[in-house]
Amino acid sequence: MKKVLEGSHAVAEAVRLARVQVISAYPITPQTHIVEILSDYVTTGKMVAKYLRVESEHSCMAALIGAQSSGVRTFTATSSQGLALMHELLHWASGARLPIVMAEVNRALAPGWNIWNDQTDSLAQRDTGWMQFYCEDGQEVLDTTIQAYRLAEIVNLPAMVVLDAFYLSHTYEPVDVPEQDEVDRFLPPYKPAFILDTKHPYSLSPLVTPNAYMEMRYDIAMAMDDALEQFDRVEEEFAKIFDRRYGAVEAIDCDDADIVIVTSGTVTSTGRLLLEELRPRGEKVGVLKIKLFRPFPVEAVRRALGKAKKVVVVDRNFSFGASGIFAQEVRAAICNVPGHPPIFGYIAGLGGRDITVKLLEEIYFDVKGSSAPRKESIWVGLQEVNRAT
Amino acid sequence: METELSLKKNLYMARTSVTTESNKTGSWRFLRPKYEEKTSPCSTACPAGEDIARIEMLITQGAFKEAWETILRENPLPGVCGRVCYHPCEGRCNRREFDTSIAVHTMERFLADTAARNETKPALERLPPKGKRVAIIGSGPAGLSAAWFLNMLGYDSEIFEAMPEAGGLLRWGIPAYRLPATVLSNEVARLESQGVRIRVGEAVTASRFEELKTSYDAVFLGCGYWRNRALNIPGEPGQGVEDGMSFLRQLRQGAKPDVTGVSAVIGGGNTAIDVARSIIRLGGRAVIIYRRRREDMPAFDEEIESALEEGAELRELLAPVQIAAIGSDCILTVQQMKVEGLDRDGRGKIVTAGTSLVEISVQRVFVATGTTAVEAWHEPPPAAEAGDQHNASVHLYLSHCTLQQEQQGTPIIYGGDLTNTDKNVTQAIASGKQAAMALDTLFQSGADAVRERLSACLVGEGPSLSMEIYMNGPRKERKPHIVSYQEINTDYFQFEPRVIQPRLLIEERTSSFDEIELKISANTAMREAGRCFNCGICNNCDNCYLFCPDVCILRGRDMTERHIDYDYCKGCGLCVVECPRNAMTLGEEEKL
Repeated sequence: MKKVLEGSHAVAEAVRLARVQVISAYPITPQTHIVEILSDYVTTGKMVAKYLRVESEHSCMAALIGAQSSGVRTFTATSSQGLALMHELLHWASGARLPIVMAEVNRALAPGWNIWNDQTDSLAQRDTGWMQFYCEDGQEVLDTTIQAYRLAEIVNLPAMVVLDAFYLSHTYEPVDVPEQDEVDRFLPPYKPAFILDTKHPYSLSPLVTPNAYMEMRYDIAMAMDDALEQFDRVEEEFAKIFDRRYGAVEAIDCDDADIVIVTSGTVTSTGRLLLEELRPRGEKVGVLKIKLFRPFPVEAVRRALGKAKKVVVVDRNFSFGASGIFAQEVRAAICNVPGHPPIFGYIAGLGGRDITVKLLEEIYFDVKGSSAPRKESIWVGLQEVNRAT
Repeated sequence: METELSLKKNLYMARTSVTTESNKTGSWRFLRPKYEEKTSPCSTACPAGEDIARIEMLITQGAFKEAWETILRENPLPGVCGRVCYHPCEGRCNRREFDTSIAVHTMERFLADTAARNETKPALERLPPKGKRVAIIGSGPAGLSAAWFLNMLGYDSEIFEAMPEAGGLLRWGIPAYRLPATVLSNEVARLESQGVRIRVGEAVTASRFEELKTSYDAVFLGCGYWRNRALNIPGEPGQGVEDGMSFLRQLRQGAKPDVTGVSAVIGGGNTAIDVARSIIRLGGRAVIIYRRRREDMPAFDEEIESALEEGAELRELLAPVQIAAIGSDCILTVQQMKVEGLDRDGRGKIVTAGTSLVEISVQRVFVATGTTAVEAWHEPPPAAEAGDQHNASVHLYLSHCTLQQEQQGTPIIYGGDLTNTDKNVTQAIASGKQAAMALDTLFQSGADAVRERLSACLVGEGPSLSMEIYMNGPRKERKPHIVSYQEINTDYFQFEPRVIQPRLLIEERTSSFDEIELKISANTAMREAGRCFNCGICNNCDNCYLFCPDVCILRGRDMTERHIDYDYCKGCGLCVVECPRNAMTLGEEEKL
């Protein structure tokens, strides 16, 4: 049924429909609306789950690791500093092969204190062994959350559903909320690969010597590779029931494009508007939306960018001392392709600053007028500031 | 260490069935936590030694009967004490340093009223009959208490009461607005139904006293102080001069004396306050004349406050010099006094201020400057005569009573106002209890054993005594250490206002003898009791269980008992730190 939902509430609806059994969370803006309404669902009986109040995000993830190990489906949501505080346990969750699903609302890290949109928080966790999906709108975030459970439970890896602060988390859009029986058909009850069982006691994650550790890590790598294939199968099954499909990447007007702009999150929608603006003027421009960041869809990216003369990556994040993180990943993906196009990295919209169609247009014409990137990363929209003191 | 290959693809996981149980981490311990209940400051401040921390805990659980029975183990008259006790417990409540003390007396009254309303019968332990009989002279709080506790310890006793109804001072000396007759009669009826026998209308004369000594195995004297202490000034006795105790007794006997106009009430004790407040209720005006200052008055402060609210006038630093009758009026001549330095008791020393005298014209004068024994033989032998023993007779001067046994004669034990330094209802109850314990020990183990046996039953530092400890009840295990405020983990408590006991309006109070303080609901009582820190006792909050990082708190099947698994406890002490009420102790591990 179509409803006008806030992005946060679209996540919560998905969690309810996924029949999650244990929820634990610690509030943090801009994530709070998600767990706030979930606690309401649990209290009013709209959802049958155990809601654990904890004193920090670190404890929250620890609680979910314990809960998931006992064989139940779990959920949390966090953002920014909260995600950073979870860091140690993010590694644990993937190492212990627990298919925990988390909604992560992209927010800038302090200082200066900033509650607005920025991707550095989740991208800084790219090496923790969690799958990451960057969503564009309310419908996608609802669908992806349900899919994330399916995929995570197949490959035994945790998953992070990422949404932009405010632009998505607090924006109301029409969202088709599926029926419970439809979701039940897509997402069967959780069948854990292993559980802690007091009747047959053993302990998980004990000390592991050099004899075994590397093989365990290798299996995580294999599982991540497998996830790339399984992602398509999960999307296939989802499309059969719901007739919606997103793809690990979405290439928009890329086939004949000379310049392809790579985007993620809600900026993709701005990119779509840019195409409406420039294509009628005869500009050969395309947009590549990257949804799946971990595992990184290398082949799909290569295919989409293969014909382009220039590739532009717009990053709403930055790895200090290096460059925009999506730009790094795209470079790494295509560097071994002979004759690959040059990569133009642009940094924009940090800390919630708006990325407008006009800004993307400026970037496009900047690239069009340059034969090669002037710098690894070009920061756009910087204003004059007084650095005197 | 084992690692297993899961059947599932890409899921090589480390797991082990090797248990770490063989690793007895308890051997690392050099500090040892243990459950160790301690004494709450309120219970040691209670003259009757009531287990207040436990009583409040039971109230929070809605176990009103058990809470009431816990009182009865130490005090047979909770309905009375919930109303007239000066509640020193509240003065030492640790919660005072946090916000305000627990309304302990309100809780006590609530329990007594609830039990009375439901006609609850207490189920209390009683020792097997000892085959000995004790005569008790006087059915005031001391006599009733002695009879109740002797009964508990297996003795037959009979109370001899001169008046037509039991209760002594409770019946004839305290006005109905503080203690309604039905409350007292309910409590007396319960004592009687539990086996206490009272022979009313039987005054004990000196010769009858001698008879009792021969026909009973012991005699308890608790006949109180009823003789008004005279001012010894000109005009007394005389026209318009009455004694306060007689006035109060007349009121309780149903008289409604004419007190129109102004009455002077001389004195600063509870009797003076009761007289003044009764006069106001009868439509008169009352001026309290006291030779010292308000802060020196022995009356309970709340009573003084109430008297002033109701319109009594207090004139301090005035010493009566003479009373003269002029027509139907009295001229009371008083000397102005002043404070100069301190006297031996540390109170302000009162000396005459100048030579001028003041004359106060009133309609009558009530003298309420204290009371004394009615008969000389009521008084215990003076302590100066001897130590504990001389000439093969026993003289034991205990904290609340005096035990005397002349050369193989019948033991006589004096209690209540006859022996107490602080003369009030709760101290009288304490003396009755001490007398019962002392007599039992005397009969069982001889006079030499009494002091030691009693000192083993002190609540905390004493002097209050616990019958529960005497009878080897659960409190025996409790350490005498008194829990201080610093030992409470106040992180676990929130500020909450103390219950406000509803009272009659001033207009209602000054026109009738109806009880001033009204009832509170069970919900209110439970909320108030929930404020209690329960100092030193375990209320099964399970903080220890939740905080133990080594899962070493073992709980019994019924979730009431907790034990520490010393095989694995590393002695981190978290349980002790997180115990909100100091019911646990961390000590050094004994060296092997």
